[in-house]
Amino acid sequence: MAEGRGVIEHIEIEGFKSLEKVSLDLGALNIFVGTNASGKTNFLEALRVLQGIGYGFTADEIFNGKPKGANTEVWEGIRGGSNYAESFSRPGGNIVFRVTATVATGAAPVNYAVTFTFSPKDTRVYSERLNGQTINAVPFGNRPSLRSSAGDLAEHIANMQLFRPSPAVQREYSALSFATRMGEHGENFAALVQSILGNEATASAYVSWLRELTPAELDEVKILTGAMKDPLFAFRLRGTDYPAPMLSDGTLRFAAIAAAFFQPDPPKILLLEEIEEGLHPTRLQLLVELLKSQTGHGVEQVIATSHSPYAIAWLKEEDYKYVFLCTKNEETGATSITPFSEVPDLVELARTQSIADLFAEGWMENTL
Amino acid sequence: MSCKVLIIPEDPTNDQHILRPLVARLLKECGKASAKVVVLSDPSVSGYEDACGKLPEIRKAYRRFNLLLFLPDADGKHQSRADKFAQLEAEYGPKLVCCAAVEEVEAWLLAGHTEKLAQPWPQVRFDTSVKENVFVPFLREHGNRRPGGGREELMQQTLTNLRGLLERCPELADLQRRICEALP
Repeated sequence: MAEGRGVIEHIEIEGFKSLEKVSLDLGALNIFVGTNASGKTNFLEALRVLQGIGYGFTADEIFNGKPKGANTEVWEGIRGGSNYAESFSRPGGNIVFRVTATVATGAAPVNYAVTFTFSPKDTRVYSERLNGQTINAVPFGNRPSLRSSAGDLAEHIANMQLFRPSPAVQREYSALSFATRMGEHGENFAALVQSILGNEATASAYVSWLRELTPAELDEVKILTGAMKDPLFAFRLRGTDYPAPMLSDGTLRFAAIAAAFFQPDPPKILLLEEIEEGLHPTRLQLLVELLKSQTGHGVEQVIATSHSPYAIAWLKEEDYKYVFLCTKNEETGATSITPFSEVPDLVELARTQSIADLFAEGWMENTL
Repeated sequence: MSCKVLIIPEDPTNDQHILRPLVARLLKECGKASAKVVVLSDPSVSGYEDACGKLPEIRKAYRRFNLLLFLPDADGKHQSRADKFAQLEAEYGPKLVCCAAVEEVEAWLLAGHTEKLAQPWPQVRFDTSVKENVFVPFLREHGNRRPGGGREELMQQTLTNLRGLLERCPELADLQRRICEALP
């Protein structure tokens, strides 16, 4: 898989939504696959809870959201808010997150654990520990104290970008002229590309990925400008400009995902949902190559979800440790997350059979 | 009708970025500059044995191509691979030409960058782990963030001295001759 070991090396989650009890080692690039409603998005939501802790939000803000402030953007709470945060199968229990993370090359990993407790009207921090030591002096406090106790770790965890590019958003003129990071749905995409193109090294690398994508001859990636000099993304193909509204959804989504790796202000952790959306199966090889080769260059860790057998087909046996199958227990509704390397017989079978077929036919779910 | 050539690498993930420009250039030398060059992606192959096993299926799927090129690593098994190639090329199907890279495909790229290598060329050429021992550190130093990590640009640089490449890798001179013969 990608070089490096990522920021979060190990994570344990208990009692959060369908994640009744999950314990995973993570690498630099991690891909979560599974059927609809198998718990993939719940795992990403759990990571967003950690991000909220990193920001220093209160427990209530983390789960239920926070409006835009003078110096802060809107924070969307987790789906359903605190009312739906507790385990589906064990309502009334606490939610526990345990994380082992490395924040600097050569530094020792840090262990952090936090437990949230819920009452009908309130969300509180039940306990909080750093390397085994209690760090939250306030019993049943309303704000995790990681930010004041371990600033580096909090900064790294907060520096997480959930990215779900929307072609409709990308087709719009950007509000800014230059941007160093896009919004969650691709807001200011054109402004970001303008920044990328302004740097010779990142410009040539970024454009080369788009050249691989487009079957037609791509002359250049351009930024057109509107009446207010607001930028609009465009391709120049065989001498003709094609502004973003004329480009396909898949092309725009790939352009945005590629751009996410060349952001002047890259996130430490990038979360990508349903990476294959809009892409032709023949282009998924390129997407997988992009994720594998670019993770570790600024973006230190990628956690992506996918439904695509074609994407899985381009992963190799050595990648399987960090490719995770999400399955749901039909009786309890609890999610199990199993690395491909631990699915019985999978590695052996994949040497002689198409792993894409095994996934598409539901063999993996049936085996577990 | 346009000329279509299929490259069958033993692993397309990285090899495609070396083999596509190489084959396009050899085709140009044969007067086939406009040939369409496709690197096999389906069925997915991984390793020499896997590719050999899937060749009947590949030949059937790509029977309308003018030429199929099977370009795996030699891995130090020169004679056994030559024997296998003779058998494969004799089988019924579209025209197939096989050529094993001595000792790994990455050596074809490195042949154009000998002045940047710490080891003398004969040592590089016959290192059966040239990818791990020489190429990976070379790419770390000279690669970039483009698709293939810079392999394609580095291969294009190698191809600026095609004669030197064919002298350092005689199996490629033979491959070029056989491509020209197969596509008159």
